Amino acid sequence: MTTATSGARTLPERFADLERWVADWARPTRQERYDMRLSKKYDELEEFYDAIAPRVEEAIDYLNTRDLTDLADDDARLLQLLYSMILVSYAVNVFMQPRIPDSGAAFFDTTAEPAV
Amino acid sequence: MTELQQRLATGKGKFTPLYEDLDTGPVDYEDSISPEFFEAEREAVFRRSWLYVGRSERLPRPGTFFTRELNGLASIVVARRKDGVVNAFHNVCAHRGNKVVWQEHPQEESKGSCREFACKYHGWRYGLDGRVTHVTNEEEFFGLDKDALRMPPVHCEEFAGFIFVNLAPDPVPLRAYLGDRLLELEAYPFGEMTQHYGFSAPIRGNWKLAVDSVCEWYHPPYVHARFIDKDVAKAEKMVPPPDSYHYDLFTPHMLTSVPGPPPLPPREPGTAGPAARDQKWVYRLFRAGLFGPDDVPDLGPLPGFLNAGNIKSWGNDQFWLFPNLSVQIWARGFYITYTYWPEAVDRHTYDIDLYFVPPKNAQERLAQELVVDSTIEFAMQDVNTIEATQQGLSTRANRQFHLSDQELLIRKFHKTVRDTVAAHDAKEGR
Repeated sequence: MTTATSGARTLPERFADLERWVADWARPTRQERYDMRLSKKYDELEEFYDAIAPRVEEAIDYLNTRDLTDLADDDARLLQLLYSMILVSYAVNVFMQPRIPDSGAAFFDTTAEPAV
Repeated sequence: MTELQQRLATGKGKFTPLYEDLDTGPVDYEDSISPEFFEAEREAVFRRSWLYVGRSERLPRPGTFFTRELNGLASIVVARRKDGVVNAFHNVCAHRGNKVVWQEHPQEESKGSCREFACKYHGWRYGLDGRVTHVTNEEEFFGLDKDALRMPPVHCEEFAGFIFVNLAPDPVPLRAYLGDRLLELEAYPFGEMTQHYGFSAPIRGNWKLAVDSVCEWYHPPYVHARFIDKDVAKAEKMVPPPDSYHYDLFTPHMLTSVPGPPPLPPREPGTAGPAARDQKWVYRLFRAGLFGPDDVPDLGPLPGFLNAGNIKSWGNDQFWLFPNLSVQIWARGFYITYTYWPEAVDRHTYDIDLYFVPPKNAQERLAQELVVDSTIEFAMQDVNTIEATQQGLSTRANRQFHLSDQELLIRKFHKTVRDTVAAHDAKEGR
């Protein structure tokens, strides 16, 4: 059900235009999403944010009709894109750079997170 | 004052003078930079206090267990026995001292479910209570008292779903240690909040400096300025006034209560407005912010012990359970624990764990994700400040420091640690 193992890049049909973002950003763990944020340049983060932001409400509306505990792979990837958009929003709107200013080498390892 | 500040101001006087055992003079920070004090603190505080090691939900059934590496203190196993009781013992074989329970890497913590623990070295086995059940080639030994053989027990008690251990030989019972004010926590529905996120960071700073960093609400316009307003002069005007907070001390434990914004009113889907590069728009979009989701789960009437200071727009209560646990209960129906594990005078591990009611749909799930991400983005800003403070203090260029009224918990917390060390030293005749 995760993108990492299947390698599939499809989204629910009405969100097919967002599939170019799946390879980088539809990632099942927060750690992978955060690593991706740090690996990108600021303008790449802006581009991702600007692509996803206008579609978020529609995506939530759609995902709200699905059972979270039994998500199809396409739906899970769409949800993961939204997780990434949240994580990227701080970089784009608050810090104006991928990394938190003055955070140096500070880093939190994830010790627990929900399966979906 | 701004409109926000006028609305939240209470006109209360200062808090520090209300507590007879607190003075208002300058303080020193030797307790955070002296290696000798660190050793004394480990003996007097950490080897003799109740220490939080995990939530009961980690042990859902008899036979479930987890191990904890309490750096420099102990390596323990926490297990639920067949009779349902949670107990703890040192992770040490009675045969030749091998660590019994581990997977792949002996240094790392592990968890699982089993009927017995088997030592990987010579196959000795132990029950879920730590007592030996099998000695390989028992007849080869000399006068073994098998009934007495065990992984050495550690005092272990549960309270409100929080599992504590105490390494002292004969500690006061947990409930007596917590005292009446903290026993009230038992009325909170922690058990309904099983959606768990956990984070851990190594910090090159004394653990008490990390506690200090979340005990006062003086730093946000500076450390977290970018979240409030890019213009610090504006950020200063957007934080609640000092008298809008509430503090209480019940030695050795403490409480701070914080105002926070009310949840946004419900809105129809599709009404968040056009996409913008504006974090306030993101908060509206996902219906959440640092103070929690805007759609608050129905937990029934909240226990009366919360918001004891009657803050007008209550955000959270942060209970400090001496020495190294904070339980932060938020008005919007979730809680966070912060735990600090010292490793050296200038090093500790900082754990943050967030717990929510399991989300019913994607919207609730995403709102929780945003709360988690906000919490960690803020925490990351605090971490480096702690390291910078450690570096400044350790030069000893300055030995006297100044605490304002709203930093009274810092004054009290360091005093409690120092008093605990002094009392222990006196008892030991040092």
